Formats: sequence, C-alpha cells, structure tokens
Amino acid sequence: MIEHFDPRRQANSVDFSKDYGTPSPVPNANAAQVTLEIDGVTVSVPEGTSVLRAAAMADISIPKLCATDSLEAFGSCRLCAVEVEGRRGLPASCTTPVVEGMKVTTQNERLAKLRRGVMELYISDHPLDCLTCPANGDCELQDMAGSVGLREVRYGFTGENHLEAQKDTSNPYFTFDPSKCIVCSRCVRACEEVQGTFALTIDGRGFESKVAAGQDEAFMNSDCVSCGACVQACPTATLMENSVIDHGVPDRSVVTTCAYCGVGCSFEAQMKGDKLVRMVPYKGGDANHGHSCVKGRFAFGYASHPDRLTTPMIRDSIDQPWREVSWEEAITFAAKRLKAIQAEHGRESIGGITSSRCTNEETYLVQKLIRAAFGNNNTDTCARVCHSPTGYGLKTTLGESAGTQTFDSVMKADAIIVIGANPTDAHPVFGSLMRKRLRQGAKLIVADPRRIDLLKTPHLGDAQHLPLRPGTNVALVNALAHVVITEGLEDTEFVAKRCDTQAYQSWRAFISEQRHSPEASEMITGVPAKAVRQAARTYATAGNGAIYYGLGVTEHSQGSTMVMGIANLALATGNIGREGVGVNPLRGQNNVQGSCDMGSFPHELPGYQHVADPIARGRFEAMWGVKLDDEPGLRIPNMFDAAIEGTFKALYVQGEDIAQSDPNTQHVEAALRALDCLIVQDIFLNETAKFAHVLLPGSSFLEKNGTFTNAERRINRVRKVMPPVAGKQDWEITQELANALGYPMNYAHPSEIMDEIAQLTPSFTGVSYQKLEEHGSLQWPCNDEHPEGMPTMHAVNFPIGLGRFAITEYVATEERTNRRFPLLLTTGRILSQYNVGAQTRRTDNQRWHDEDVLELHPSDADVRGVRDGDWLGITSRSGQTVLRARLSERMQPGVVYTTFHHPGSGANVITTDNSDWATNCPEYKVTAVQVEKVSQPSAWQQRFTSFDQAQKGYLAKAQQEAP
Amino acid sequence: MSTHNDANLIRMTNQIATNLGCGRDEDAAAAAICRHLETFWARPMKQRLVASLAQDDAGLSPLAHRAATLLANRLAERQAS
Repeated sequence: MIEHFDPRRQANSVDFSKDYGTPSPVPNANAAQVTLEIDGVTVSVPEGTSVLRAAAMADISIPKLCATDSLEAFGSCRLCAVEVEGRRGLPASCTTPVVEGMKVTTQNERLAKLRRGVMELYISDHPLDCLTCPANGDCELQDMAGSVGLREVRYGFTGENHLEAQKDTSNPYFTFDPSKCIVCSRCVRACEEVQGTFALTIDGRGFESKVAAGQDEAFMNSDCVSCGACVQACPTATLMENSVIDHGVPDRSVVTTCAYCGVGCSFEAQMKGDKLVRMVPYKGGDANHGHSCVKGRFAFGYASHPDRLTTPMIRDSIDQPWREVSWEEAITFAAKRLKAIQAEHGRESIGGITSSRCTNEETYLVQKLIRAAFGNNNTDTCARVCHSPTGYGLKTTLGESAGTQTFDSVMKADAIIVIGANPTDAHPVFGSLMRKRLRQGAKLIVADPRRIDLLKTPHLGDAQHLPLRPGTNVALVNALAHVVITEGLEDTEFVAKRCDTQAYQSWRAFISEQRHSPEASEMITGVPAKAVRQAARTYATAGNGAIYYGLGVTEHSQGSTMVMGIANLALATGNIGREGVGVNPLRGQNNVQGSCDMGSFPHELPGYQHVADPIARGRFEAMWGVKLDDEPGLRIPNMFDAAIEGTFKALYVQGEDIAQSDPNTQHVEAALRALDCLIVQDIFLNETAKFAHVLLPGSSFLEKNGTFTNAERRINRVRKVMPPVAGKQDWEITQELANALGYPMNYAHPSEIMDEIAQLTPSFTGVSYQKLEEHGSLQWPCNDEHPEGMPTMHAVNFPIGLGRFAITEYVATEERTNRRFPLLLTTGRILSQYNVGAQTRRTDNQRWHDEDVLELHPSDADVRGVRDGDWLGITSRSGQTVLRARLSERMQPGVVYTTFHHPGSGANVITTDNSDWATNCPEYKVTAVQVEKVSQPSAWQQRFTSFDQAQKGYLAKAQQEAP
Repeated sequence: MSTHNDANLIRMTNQIATNLGCGRDEDAAAAAICRHLETFWARPMKQRLVASLAQDDAGLSPLAHRAATLLANRLAERQAS
C-alpha cells in the first residue's frame, strides 16, 4: 500500500484505479470550494466532500474498511477516525464533511492506538489463513492490518467466533464465505444503492449479525441477480469470484467495452498471461460508472468454449460434410463463387449482412466491401429487425437517427415513461440507474402489456401502469398527446420557437379530434381513460419528462409511426434539448447504433447519407476509387423474398444469426436453402451457419481492436486482450475477401479504418483513436462544431432546423385474433440470456434459464385445462411450436409471452411476415395464436432436431479428419 | 416469377399508402408515397411494382396506384436522362 507521488498528475483529476472512500458530491455549479488543512497540507475541494475523500484527493491515505467510493458513507468500522482541531473525540472522516478552515490530523499516537484496537477486534474473529486465501494480495483487511501495524491479538481465538461458518457455493460465479466476513455492510449497501435489488440484508443483531441473501436463503434461491456489485464491494474474501479462487489474482488489466447489450459498459479485463481471469466493471466507464450485470461481469466463458470455430471450412452443398481448409483456400473459394454467381445472375444477385455485434470498423468494412467490391447496395444489419423504425421516425421528426441523451440524464428526470422496454432485464445497468432515480422520487409510467419488474422496484414512489393490448401503441400515444393538447399542457413557447409551425398546426388539428381522446381509444387499447389522462398530466407537468422505449415500440406494423408519436409528445411538451428529458431508444445489440451509423442500411452510406445524394456519394467514390450504385439495395426480408424466387443467390453474413432471430423461421430457412453460396463468419456454428457453404471463424470482442457505439451515441474503445482463436480479427477476414474479389484493401490497424470513417462521415470528423485515448469515450456528433462530442442533442436547434410534428394515424395491424387464434403472443428477453443465446448458452447463465417457456395468465390456462409445466402447442398462421407452460399473473388475460434464447424453442416459427410499413421491421410483438396441451414436440421441432444433429455431425467429422 | 413476392410488394405499397396518406391531400400523399418508395426501395422492387401497374387486378389501393404511377414516370425520366 505504498502510494507514489506522480508530479505529472493534474490536481483534482480523478484516478479511477484509486478508492477515494466516499463518492464525489453531486456536481453542482454553485457549490463553493472549501479550503482546509490535512496534516499541514492545504487542500481545496467542493463543498459536500468528506474529509476522507479530501485527504485521498491530496494523496493522504487514511485507513478504512467500511468505506468505498461507490457507496455512501456508513461510518461503522471506525478505522478512518481522525482528529479535528477544536473538536472533541475522534470523528470518522468518511461521515465528516469538510468545513472551511478545518485542521485535520490523520496520523498520531492516539489515532494509531485506536486503529490497532479496531483491527485487533476484527482479526480476533477472522481466519488467519492469508497465505492460502483467494484474496491474498487483493484484500483490504490484510492491507489495513499491515497499515495500522497490527502485531498481536490479545483476545486469542478460542472464544465464540464465526470461523466455522459454512460457505454458500450456490452461485456458479462467486462463493460466499461468511467465515471471512467483517460485517462492514458494503455488499448489502451495494445491492441497495448500486444495483437496487435489495436482495442482501444484515440478519440478526450484535454478535449474531451476518450477511444474508433474501430470507436467509442460498444466493441462487434469493432475489440476487448476480450483478457482481457485492463481490466488487467486498473488502475481504467473503464474496469472491470463483475464477479468482481457481486461478489466483490477475496480474494485468486492460480497459475494454462489453459486447452484450446497447448499454456498452466499460470493463477491466483482468488477465494472467493470455488467460482472462475476471471482468471488473470500470469506474471510469462513462456509460456504467463501475456497475455491471450478470452477463458482462461473469458470462465471458463462451470466448474460450470448446465449440469455438478455429479453422475455416468449405463445402459444395449443405448436405455434405465440412472440409477444413486454409484461410487462403476458404477465401479463394468464397470469392470465386461470388464472382461466378454475379457473372451468371447479375451484379444485384449477391449481398451481405453486417454485424451489430462487431466493431464500427468491421461493420464499415463489410458495407464498403458490398458497395465497392460487390458493386451494389444489398447491405443490411440486424437493426432491420429491431430499431430501423427508430432511424426512420427520429430522422423524420428530430432530424437525427439516434437517442437524444446520455444515460446519466435520467438522474435529472422527474417523470419517466417507459414504453415497450424492460430495462431491468434487457439493459440492466441502465435499469439500475433508473431505479436509483425512482428511489429518489421520480414518477414512473410504464406502458406495456406485461407488468414488468421495473414496477416492482423497491421503494418506488408514484408508479402508473398502462397495460395496453399488443398492437395498439399508436392509439395510446395519440391519446396521451390528445390530453396534452386539449388540457392546455403543451409548452407553447418551445413549440413556437423550435418547431415547424405548419406541421405543428396540422398535427394539432389532427390530434385534437375527439376520436383520439382517451375515452374513445379505451376500446382499442384496453387502458382506462382515467389512467391515460393521469399519465399524460404527470408527464407534461412533472418538470423534466423523459421517454425511454424499446422493441415493444418498434417491432410492430406501425413501429415507425409510434416512434414519431413519441417524438410528437416530447416536442409538444418541450421535453427535448436539455438534461433529464428526451427521446431515448434503448438499443439492443452492443453496436447496433454503430452498425447503423456505419452505413449498414441499403439506402444510406455511413453517417446516414443517402446513396442517391450525388455530393455525398461523390466523396465516397473519390475515396474508394470506384463508381457506386445510386439506388438503394435490398433489406433483409427483401433478400429472403428474392432468394426464394431465385433472383438472389449469395449472401455474406458477418456475426448475425438470421435463422434463429428473424421471424417466420420456415420462410427464412427456405430462403437460406435457396442460396447457391452462403458465407458465414461467426465464432460458433450458429443456426445460420448450418445452411452455409463457407465458414469463416470470427473473433470475440476480447480478440480484437476497434470501437463500439452504445445507445447514447457513445464511441468506446474495444481493446484486444488475447490473440484471435482462429488467427484473424474480423476486419482482417473482410479485407482478405475484398482483395480476393479484386478490390484492394490494405489496412494495418482499425485506427486507419476509423481515420477513413472520420473523413467521410460529417458526424465523425473529430473522432480518432488518439482522441478516444485522451477522453475515454466520445458521443457523436464529434466534429469541428462539437470537438468534444455532444452529450445532449438538439439543445439549440435540430439537424433539420425546426422540429417536425408528424401525423400519426392509428392503423390496426392485419394480425388479428379470431376464433381459431384467440390469443396474442408477444416476445421478449430475460436477464441471464442474451438474444439468440449463442454466447450465454455456453456459460453458466444456463443455470438461470435453460429453456424458453410460454407465460400465460391463469385464467387462460384454466379454460384450457393447462397446469404449470404442461407441454403446450402454440399455433399461429405461420407455424407451430411446443413449449412448457408457466402460469403468470404478470400477463394480462388474452396475452401470452415467450423468449427466443434457445433455437429449439422455435419462437420465431410462429412469428409472421408482417412488418413495419416504413422499414420492414418485423412485427414480432403481435402474433395471433392458439395454445393447447400436447404430448410431443412440433413437426418443425422434430425436423430441427434431426437437421441440427446432422449438421453438428458434419462439423465433428471435419474436425476429426483434420490433419 | 414468384407471385408471392409481387403480392408482398403490393401489400407493402398499400400499407405505405395508408400510413402516409393520412393528413395530406391526395396530390401531396401520392408524392410522399412515391418519395418513400424512391428513397427506401431497391431497384428490382421498384421495377416489379411498376410492372404490376399493367395488371388490372394487382390489388393496389387507388392512392397506392397513383403513387406507383408517379414512380413509373420518375423511373422513366431517370432512364431518359
């Protein structure tokens, strides 16, 4: 624990590797600076800072145990006691705020004696097995014993103690060893303050006090969501990662970005040689500030799973075994086939899909390959099936295809509307932040067919639930806007100053019509008019109103209309352009924002520049040295249709599993079978790869350099911590394919690709790897006008000048219930699994969710004689699948729900071809179904099983035969 | 030639017409729909839609039909230029 003085470090700059003991006070521009003296050193800190933190900022370290800077001061361990001139006693420095002119002494005989006494008591009930303890070398208790100079324990160890307390090993990722616990409550406080789950508590009193999960249950049986905050906060070996118990304390650390969801948390990948020992959330991460969820924190084992593809493979047809070949042979084979197909079927007969899981640089390169080397615009990405309506809707109304805020902005929101999103499961780290704000008193309005867990937030104040029928979003948002307008709740000043008057007047006349009133739309949405009126009033009058939404908004036949309806609501109430407000799409994949920004869509070059725009296209043509097509290309569903009719023959898919994730599986399978050449670049033999002719083994996020862009437009570095399993980073593979096709690419490092992006993309002109190193992260637009990026958008004006209200007529979906299909199925995700599950299914996260089930309301189950756990056949107009039943009061009668994390579940066998009118984003969220008890898997599932076994056999055979 | 694909394109065009038709007079609506098709649809999709104008019973709504006719003119103009 020797601290070195580094003169290069600027005063008051925060060192994220250091623990300052207490959090920095809430930033306040009016906060005065307070000057005090600590051990004779003059220190100046913001008002509200603790003495402990002030000392740490001056590099004066005061011993501490119960204090850590991610948690509010608690003042229980007494180790951080100090002397303050003119005050009696020895106050705890963590709970003592600084005062002007204060004189503090942190070290003298009296304090040393007190601290030794405190430590002596702690150690008298602590095992002395330091040398064999997993925290050896990373233990604050050990450090403090050394720091205070503890030399003896006069009490002995024979008295009553906790040394025989039994371990809890129920959680697959960490062990709870209560014999090592010092009851500092850091874990309990982390569970409350950071995660917001309140799963941990201190049970008992006095000597009996102990940390307990839930009602003194095993961790796995409690409410614990395994976010790791308690493990992170624990100063001893009481809560310890199993990977550290197994492998020892890591010896180096690299800051990188998580590759799961669109929150884009920063992590320290802590390594021993090439072995990743643990992922620790990075305090300096601007998106997560040191918090994590079970996926990013623990579910990284897939990267070294034996299923990883390590060698390129080819075959002539999908009913043949694979053949392992060299990279060169695989790339040449792919290029030859692509060229032959184009020669026979025309330039437009091939295309590609960029990966929203890969880096910006890799995505950029794939769309460049398609536009420049394939010579067409047949490029698309998984945003097609998630947030393409966000792109369309926000660009139309606000002028930019992205969310308007930072995540931190939620801490200034007074009323929060969550529509069709489930942040505690799908964006957990942001969900925790939102819960923190809700505990501070912000009002919550949830519009969702299901009673999502956010509504069960402990210490939640005013919460309203609008349980609408699936498919009626637009009717609901129109009713909310109707109330705002007809009750005079609009922000007329904002509208007059910032919005297009003519568009506003037309919209105002439209929305004022009686047919949009909550009373009129109650019949459609099923939400009581009174509740809608109350929600609209809350949002419009609370002060800062913020809207967060997810795929429950976009994945509908009117997804784009709904996004515009949300923007209308925000514009009308002036909830745009400052902190605490805004329109916030919670984006799914880690880099889906980035893949959209990087020109993955068939109609847009990087930076959302339309392919028909001659000036923009001209700049790309000049840089890329090739003539580009000025017509948009095919979108994913259009590609499927064209494949089935025989005009689309080859597809290059980078890191996306369309066979599992896209709707109407049987239609997708027919399209994939119709292809003459399917090239799949992935880390596993995913469902799509089973239909492929060329398999190019990709690299995980741990094996590459690059950048991801999260849902707040934040560009974050991804750093390589280990060599690629198969030898190549994904951008290198794309580059080799381009070269083999005769289009030269010669990048030596992804930073060179970013430099090219910066030259061609107006919102990225200020982005470079060097600047990212300096700033940590940057939120685009980052250019000459906004050299440091732009955290809050639209503060002064919109990219289109004035905000544009859009007419949002409700049009009922064609997917209707009837006597044959009386129920509505809606789909979603859960915390422990991630999307198609290719990664999380290959980790211990399986322990939480090893199969998809169908949730249905007890009354729907009752009339069908269904009991919990029964096998249910679910039939829609598209197909049939079989899942186990789970009775759930979270559902409303008439609505059933499932997840799509396991391929054999066939959730997408039942979803239909219906899609958003503007973008073809599939209508996943509304499928009319019937359910009935059955005794065997569906015909599709039986076919799936035999196809799956055959394909896995082909792979195993190739691997056995490999020299 | 797949009739499934044609039917799908016509259904999509009708959907676009329904959604963009609201709150606009017929001229403005047809122009907006045509602009949408031009902006977002791939070349073969546009050509297929225009080709369907020759069929009497293709199933296009009157507004969608008008927009598709506008699109046909635009494509012809572009080809001529």
